[in-house]
Amino acid sequence: MTPGKYDGGMSNTPIWTNPLRDPRDLRLPRIAGPCSLVIFGVTGDLAQKKLLPAVYDLANRGLLPPSFGLTGFARRDWTNEHFIEFVKTAVKARCRTPFKESTWENLAKGIRFVQGTFDDPAAFERLSNTVQELDRDRGTQGNHAFYMSVPPRAFPLVSKQLAASGLSRSSEGAWRRVIIEKPFGHDLQSAKELDRVVSEVFDPSSVFRIDHYLGKETVQNILALRFANEMYEPIWNSNYVDHVQITMAEDIGIGGRAGYYDGIGAARDIIQNHLLQLMALTAMEEPVSFSAQDLTAEKTKVLSAVRLPKDLRAHTARGQYARGWQGSHEVVGYLDEKGIDKSSTTETYAAIRLDVDTRRWAGVPFYLRTGKRLGKRVTEIAVVFKRAPHLPFEQTAVRELGSNAVVIRVQPDEGVTMRFGAKVPGGSAMEVRDVSMDFSYGRSFTESSPEAYERLILDVLLGDPPLFPTTEEVDLSWKILDPIEQFWSTLGQPQPYRSGTWGPAEADEMLARDGRHWRMP
Amino acid sequence: MIIDLPNTRTREISAKIDELHEERGESATGRVLTLLIRTDDAELENSLEVANAASREHPCRVIAIVPNTHASIVSGEGEATSESENAADESNLDAQVRFGADAGAGEVIVLRPRNGLVDHLDTLVIPLLVPDAPVVAWWPTNPPSNPSKDLLGAMASSRITDAMRSSNPEATIERLRRNWSAQDVDLSWTRLTVWRAMLASMVDQPPHIPIVHARVTAPNDFLPADLLRAWLRLKLNVPVDFEVDENAAAVTGVYLTRQDGGVLSLERPHEDQSIISVPGQTPQPISVPVRTLEDCLTEELRRMDPDEVYADVINKGWDLISH
Repeated sequence: MTPGKYDGGMSNTPIWTNPLRDPRDLRLPRIAGPCSLVIFGVTGDLAQKKLLPAVYDLANRGLLPPSFGLTGFARRDWTNEHFIEFVKTAVKARCRTPFKESTWENLAKGIRFVQGTFDDPAAFERLSNTVQELDRDRGTQGNHAFYMSVPPRAFPLVSKQLAASGLSRSSEGAWRRVIIEKPFGHDLQSAKELDRVVSEVFDPSSVFRIDHYLGKETVQNILALRFANEMYEPIWNSNYVDHVQITMAEDIGIGGRAGYYDGIGAARDIIQNHLLQLMALTAMEEPVSFSAQDLTAEKTKVLSAVRLPKDLRAHTARGQYARGWQGSHEVVGYLDEKGIDKSSTTETYAAIRLDVDTRRWAGVPFYLRTGKRLGKRVTEIAVVFKRAPHLPFEQTAVRELGSNAVVIRVQPDEGVTMRFGAKVPGGSAMEVRDVSMDFSYGRSFTESSPEAYERLILDVLLGDPPLFPTTEEVDLSWKILDPIEQFWSTLGQPQPYRSGTWGPAEADEMLARDGRHWRMP
Repeated sequence: MIIDLPNTRTREISAKIDELHEERGESATGRVLTLLIRTDDAELENSLEVANAASREHPCRVIAIVPNTHASIVSGEGEATSESENAADESNLDAQVRFGADAGAGEVIVLRPRNGLVDHLDTLVIPLLVPDAPVVAWWPTNPPSNPSKDLLGAMASSRITDAMRSSNPEATIERLRRNWSAQDVDLSWTRLTVWRAMLASMVDQPPHIPIVHARVTAPNDFLPADLLRAWLRLKLNVPVDFEVDENAAAVTGVYLTRQDGGVLSLERPHEDQSIISVPGQTPQPISVPVRTLEDCLTEELRRMDPDEVYADVINKGWDLISH
């Protein structure tokens, strides 16, 4: 994000500059320096579907160094060859760029497998030896990143083992980094505890929290849209904006994640990280620069200015999907899902109203909603504008005119839509109706943009943190959500909603109370 | 879909394109640029294939201009002047519009002007340009001696030449250098990006001992190798030796000697396998596929602002190395 400031990522001596690098030389891609990536939980879904293909795609795009190692750590009793075959299958199934035997051959030379469990010190001893062997044979020079693709409850144990085996410590000039996935705790207290555990072992600046939403091109485009253009900023405030709706809808149910999901719920799973991050990017002031520090400063300001509604009953809503037809398929209700307690009060739909106490956003509510088994899979940010203060038309002419809106479509069909009124052609009387103006990423730019994980893994290897939320942001997000969760825990059963609809009636009532309604995404 | 429009006018071409867009429910406003290709019959299909592939990353309208220089004899009507008032009957233009599977992520227009029209290529393409979008001109083989003064080149905000594929690379690059302007770039430079990136990240690695000498091995008269040497000479400010590698097809090695005598090297003995060697470490192989024309064109379309490093290399670095 700071092309002009890139100094090679690796140099720790500020005085030395690489004579071959020139800030004006914008062609040169950022290639990670010698390093290795160790993945814990490498047989899991995330590793198989996202991480391993992303590593290959990075290699295929020439962004990984020749001295690169990839180590898998898992319980299975595999040899190196087994594991290499496993990686190859995963890569072939999901890689975004074409599979090339030559790229794969070179990547495969740096692939290692360590068998073991997290409570076995000997396994970490073997891991330590493997990593040292990579340093020796592959020239990874002591730079290693540890990807914790494991449940959060395993973090303390893995961290401790990494510390005990000396893996968390780096020699001079080298780095060790750790990557953790959400959830970052389930409330403020547990988030702090998790942070304490990890930061006992790793320096806070070496901890990268992945919120893969922030690696998405469209999310980064929010920054471009807002701060590279002149036409939005003047109206991006309470003078013109009526309210903002941020939606992340999924059409799937909980699938096989019952164990993780039950007791967590939609708000902790999605609102705490993804939606509050999207809100922060939408609402924040212009950062001084796009460096991690400046970007975080602005996001933190917004999150700390968030005010909860006084009457949580009136301004939040939750629901639980009931059986129904999801599009063309019959699906069971949440309480009938495998592994779910029949009396579970976990919400699968959550909607909340938040206000931002700043001059820019005074009186502009932000409505955040997310849910499973909704009408379709869609994520969008809709900035809905006030109606024109005076309409010099007959009342009948503007009956069909809605509010203007700028909609940032995050997924699928990434792009931006503008809604505004236009005259209906012909007819004897003037009539104005809503029309859309569309910008679609796929049409104006590359057909396949890099996967979020490609970008994020590369950023970790380069040590470039702007797209990763900090501890402070995580803590602030929990501060926002904790009171709501506490209130909800007193309520009992969430309102059921039929699968395939847009959520419980409660949510519609919540907006109706403010004289508004949800957009249909 | 390929539609031939013999003896046509630009207005008819525009109307045809609009009609097709409407019929196919597409919008023409998503095009991010117009790519003008000035070429000949022999090179046309190959160039269009490359442009179509590049258009998948940069949806563009491709306009290929292939002047028909033998036309007036064929028509046999003596003075078939383009200025005549009833030009509607006597067209000087054959065209072809390609859509869908024949056109990548945009549309392709092939223009074959003849007679007097071949001297007015700029006003020929003006009505067909994508509105309010940059124009890029590309000469796949022989460029004009002064691209920025060329009728098509002057309209373009970015001019892409390819001296290596011209009939006389040495003479062509000399001419291009003499007439260089900030928006010009030659694909010989683009072919080096991967090598340059790998060399730069090699030098990134500690220990940061100054480099005192460099050596490049490549075939004789290989333009990208000259540019690579010029770049190294300019940036490292050390002597850059050249060693002829008779049988090679491209650059085969770069060797950077440090003050302590250690040598960093990047070698590509085979097609797409490179070896990186650093003192005190096992040499590491990495796959570096030879860049295709498509890779290079795609890279050029990615950024359209002048490349100042290239400017330095051909204006300053070039004179510092032996030729």
